[in-house]
Amino acid sequence: MADNLEDTHFDTGDSGASATYPMQCSALRKNGFVMLKSRPCKIVEMSTSKTGKHGHAKVHLVGIDIFSGKKYEDICPSTHNMDVPHVKREDYQLTDISDDDYLSLMSDNGELREDLKVPDGEVGSQLRLEHGNGKDILCTVLKSCGEEVVIAVKTNTALDK
Amino acid sequence: MNDNIILEMEKAAEIIMAPPNLVSNEQRHLAENIFLDFRKSKSPYGICRDILEKSQNHYVLFEAAEVLKGAIIREWSFLFENDKTSLRQYLFQYIISKTLPSFVRDRILQVIAIMVKRASIDDGGRERANILKEVENLIVNAEPHKKVLGCNILSNLMQEYATTVKSTDVGLPWEVHFKAKKQFEATDLKRIFQFCIYLLSEVVKNDPPYSNTLLELSGHLLKITETVLAWGYVSPILPKRLIGIYESVHEADSAPALKLTASWADIILNPDLLPLMFQIYWKLRDFDQLAHHSINCLVQLASLNGGILPTDEARMKYLHAYLMAFFNLISNITIKNKECLGISNIVKKLIIFFIHDILKLPDSMKDTLLDEFTRITCHFCDGATIEEAQGAEDKFFTDAFDNMLDAWTTILQEFAQSYLENKFSECAKQVFNKYIQCHLAPPDGCRKNNGEVEDIEDNEDNDRSKFKDQLQVIGMFGRVVPGHALPVLFKLLEDRTDKFVNHLQAMQTRAMNIQEAEALDNLFEDLHWIILVSGHILCMDSDGETPMIPSEIMQYSIDQHNRRESTLNATMNAIIAVGSKIALPDNFEHCDHIIRIVFNVMKLCTIEDYAASVNLAQFMSPEVGSSIMWFLKRWCLSYLLPVENYYQELSPTLIGCLGKDTDGSKLVVSFVLSKIQSNLYHFQSEPILLRDTVELFCDIVCVKQKSSSHVVKTESMRNLIKLFADLQPGTLPPNIIRGLCKGFVLAGTALYSRNNHGDNQSTMNEYYELILMPLQQRFKSVLGQENFTRICHQEKVQKIVIDLLESFIGIAKGSAMPSSTTLFHFLAPILSELPVFITVYNNYQVIVQLILELFGQCAKYMLCYLSPFDSKRLYESSLATVQAYAKCNQGRLTNESFAEESSFQDLALILDLLTFILSKDCFDFCPISNDEVTVAASDVSLFGLNFIMPLMTMDLLKYPSLCAQYYRLLVLINDIYPEKICNLPSDLLNTLLRSVELGLTNFGSDIVQACLDFVQGMATYIFRHNLTESQFGQAIRPFLKTVIDLTLSHQINTDLTSSASTCIYALMCCFQEDYKMLIQSLIQMQTDPMTAERLAAAFNNLVLNVDMTCDRLPKLKFRDNFDKFIANVHGFLLVK
Repeated sequence: MADNLEDTHFDTGDSGASATYPMQCSALRKNGFVMLKSRPCKIVEMSTSKTGKHGHAKVHLVGIDIFSGKKYEDICPSTHNMDVPHVKREDYQLTDISDDDYLSLMSDNGELREDLKVPDGEVGSQLRLEHGNGKDILCTVLKSCGEEVVIAVKTNTALDK
Repeated sequence: MNDNIILEMEKAAEIIMAPPNLVSNEQRHLAENIFLDFRKSKSPYGICRDILEKSQNHYVLFEAAEVLKGAIIREWSFLFENDKTSLRQYLFQYIISKTLPSFVRDRILQVIAIMVKRASIDDGGRERANILKEVENLIVNAEPHKKVLGCNILSNLMQEYATTVKSTDVGLPWEVHFKAKKQFEATDLKRIFQFCIYLLSEVVKNDPPYSNTLLELSGHLLKITETVLAWGYVSPILPKRLIGIYESVHEADSAPALKLTASWADIILNPDLLPLMFQIYWKLRDFDQLAHHSINCLVQLASLNGGILPTDEARMKYLHAYLMAFFNLISNITIKNKECLGISNIVKKLIIFFIHDILKLPDSMKDTLLDEFTRITCHFCDGATIEEAQGAEDKFFTDAFDNMLDAWTTILQEFAQSYLENKFSECAKQVFNKYIQCHLAPPDGCRKNNGEVEDIEDNEDNDRSKFKDQLQVIGMFGRVVPGHALPVLFKLLEDRTDKFVNHLQAMQTRAMNIQEAEALDNLFEDLHWIILVSGHILCMDSDGETPMIPSEIMQYSIDQHNRRESTLNATMNAIIAVGSKIALPDNFEHCDHIIRIVFNVMKLCTIEDYAASVNLAQFMSPEVGSSIMWFLKRWCLSYLLPVENYYQELSPTLIGCLGKDTDGSKLVVSFVLSKIQSNLYHFQSEPILLRDTVELFCDIVCVKQKSSSHVVKTESMRNLIKLFADLQPGTLPPNIIRGLCKGFVLAGTALYSRNNHGDNQSTMNEYYELILMPLQQRFKSVLGQENFTRICHQEKVQKIVIDLLESFIGIAKGSAMPSSTTLFHFLAPILSELPVFITVYNNYQVIVQLILELFGQCAKYMLCYLSPFDSKRLYESSLATVQAYAKCNQGRLTNESFAEESSFQDLALILDLLTFILSKDCFDFCPISNDEVTVAASDVSLFGLNFIMPLMTMDLLKYPSLCAQYYRLLVLINDIYPEKICNLPSDLLNTLLRSVELGLTNFGSDIVQACLDFVQGMATYIFRHNLTESQFGQAIRPFLKTVIDLTLSHQINTDLTSSASTCIYALMCCFQEDYKMLIQSLIQMQTDPMTAERLAAAFNNLVLNVDMTCDRLPKLKFRDNFDKFIANVHGFLLVK
């Protein structure tokens, strides 16, 4: 809990701006994002149906929470506006891992940040391993609705640059 | 000793049959092994007999029968004649004397049937004749259950002879099967038929009620009779492959027509037969099971053809007899839902096989025929309406109605020339009226509502496609009587439109109540169907053909004009009235009836627009809107700017209103364009309606190329372009943006094709500048911003990027021969920026995929027209983009769920791109140029494959479509350029071959096929170029063993045996020593010397007289040998 508070405290840049913006349901698209049950989701399935033969279109959305991977569904008239989360996915260079599991990350333009922890799961262990081996590591940071987490890592090989 | 074995087996059987909570897995496994071992026993005849005598356990009995079957197939040629006969007699007695569960009995029956068939090959069927006699005795004389058993024997025997290609499991090569079948047909099939018919005639001598035993027996007899009548008499001239297709179609339950030789004449043409068959049906039709087989016999008899009816007289006589009996039946019964399908099938077959004889019938008989067909068609139509309303699962009447319409298509075409009299028009009117009636709400019609309102998925077929076939035939009926049909339709349209307007007026003042809402819904449904029917009468489907005005309609319009029922003036008034929103045009009663219908449809458009303008859009029906778009599209394609020399005679009204440079045609184009614009504006949230709107747009800009030059210049078009330019990014659904851009681009093509002078080239380019410049500028201004890498993550920037990419995709899709170079020169600088783009946006899948798709579409629609220089530019950008993609994704690990699905989608797009690029090597329409740049498309494809290969993981190949696409690409490259593959760097080659190996075992048979083709192609190439010793040759070498092993152990589907055999042959040619060692070790592995000997002999025969030259002829010879080899070897070789 305390960690979370700290995170939001250090959150800069977008603070004050709304986490979402409205979009007409019919203009949403597969692989895009939408808020379902107040969670930011990636749309993995989108189909339309209608109530009765001469009725109006409704959109059936299946989404996956971009942080937890949980599945959500919703159905709404296609004329309605849905909330779409601002989703940002930026790459950072990993420079260090602190003793208390915080990452030191450097953005493209050289800004440093140290407010993100080593992520759970396979990505986390890969990150530690490759960092231990002294490899060059690129971290993708996913940010949306006030949450922020390292979602993917990529070890730079000779092929890159 | 056998007793112990039997006891052991019975125990094992109990374990196998026990519920899972009582026995452990291990116990079950052991028990199964006992039976698996038992199945491999040699000469098991003694023990099997013992089991059949002593055991009471049904499972064990079944296994014994199964083992007998296997042993007989394997060891037939080694058994003594006496043993065979005594075994067969024993089994025969056994099933007669014992009461057995049907699964055991059927298996033993099958064993007997196999024995009879094998014996008949040796003795020409003598023995079989005796057995048939025994069986007939049994059926005639024995007690009831034995009679049924006799029938079962007959059925099983027939089953054994019926198929030849798929029955290799009885250990005979196909030729022998086929001969046996022909011999059986020639002698015993007729005998069986006569026997059954005789017994059935005895049964129906009495009237119902019949006893249950008699009914059961009749059922069996009818089934056998049906099998004889639906027998596949295959011509021996056909090659095996065709016979195989024929037989599998037959098995899939579509009986072949009854094609008989003259030798059947005495039975089938016996004057008593048809009345008897109809009588049997008449008396048994209340018993569903029996009725089914009985009516199938009648259907088959309706398709009689072949040498049995050599002359017109013979055909006429048969047809006459059949029709008399048929009319007698249908005029005396009320057709039930279960029999309507059979009856409609009879009609269909009669029409297919006897239409020319029907035309020659005496007039009175023809009249009866048309009357009766009309009557039952209408009856089925009524039934279909009820089924539709009830949402019935079995659609008997609907299917029967469809069958009748099928039959009518032929009648309409054939009768049109010879019998277009009052009678025929009368029938057409009746069917047309009935159809309209069934689709209108009361009081005019009898449509019933489905009751509750259900959610309808958009992927369900709409009425247009669901009832396409029906509507097409109804359109034909309508065109037989246009003077009746068109007035019916425009009156209905006018009436419904008036009601619709009244509704709207009421809605503006107050909310609707439930009845009104329901009435409105009914109104929509009526309008929807009237429009569908109108569209099918006025126009014919024209997929792939030049759409034309149907001749009947043209004639009708001419007649109206000649009779002064219509005038050009009045008709033009109607067209002018639409544009100026005048309710009722002057002199409307003299408007041409075709235009009157169109006027009404256009009026509906203006009402829709009006409703939208007073905020009632949400009450309009998107379904009706879609139907209107469809109607306009269809109608414009056929009627707008007709090409005069396509027609013998033109209606002065139509040409005067819609011909080239007429005010009418301009008004119509403007009207349609403005309706498109208003749909895009008012109905953005209706995906289907928008889709149909955009389709209309893309078609109308292409209407008869020459015309669109003025389409482009109309104000409506300029408005549309402006609307598109002014739209906020992200407002239109993605596919709509594409469609619009495609339409804009297509419209420009017309400017060029008008005449091929430089002047027009520049007009076209000017137009394209108008469309493309704003897009290009937007793209530049986004990318050119200094802080682009910072702001690229912002939603508003992304939205612009997405809309731009969608537009570019649309442009690629709309490019054609004359425009592709211009368009490519516009796109090329943009494409060259995309490798950077895909890197910047690599974290945003939507954009990544749009970029990949854009390249794919450019390769698909533009590449084939591009010069070598331009092609190279496209290759370079494509490859750089694929490379950038691979760089961003290689060695990447993610926590995201759904990541795999995402990579699957990406890679599928890349494979698409590579495949489209490759097709440049097959289809290149580029005029020869002197450019020096020559890069083969296959190089590009392989190079691209190289980049993405590391990303193609086994998990990803499990996506069937990706898998299929991947292997298809491999085979394609290999087909065109094997030398490219053999010069691949070794790690890429190894990865590639590993995936081929996986393909042979891990996926479906289409993939196996692809891999076999691949290996065969490679091996042939290696042989021809003496590459066996090369690194590449050695890499292919292990496939010889792999493919042989897979084939011998049944792991390759039998359908693929011939592909496998040619593949093995090619490999054998390359690696003959390997092959010899392989078969040696296979033979040595056999423990039983006799098996080893047979195997060695089989291998010898396999290569007998086959040259190892890898040429076509020896390859085909080897393929045939291999077929026999496999049939032979699978009989005795038990390979794990």
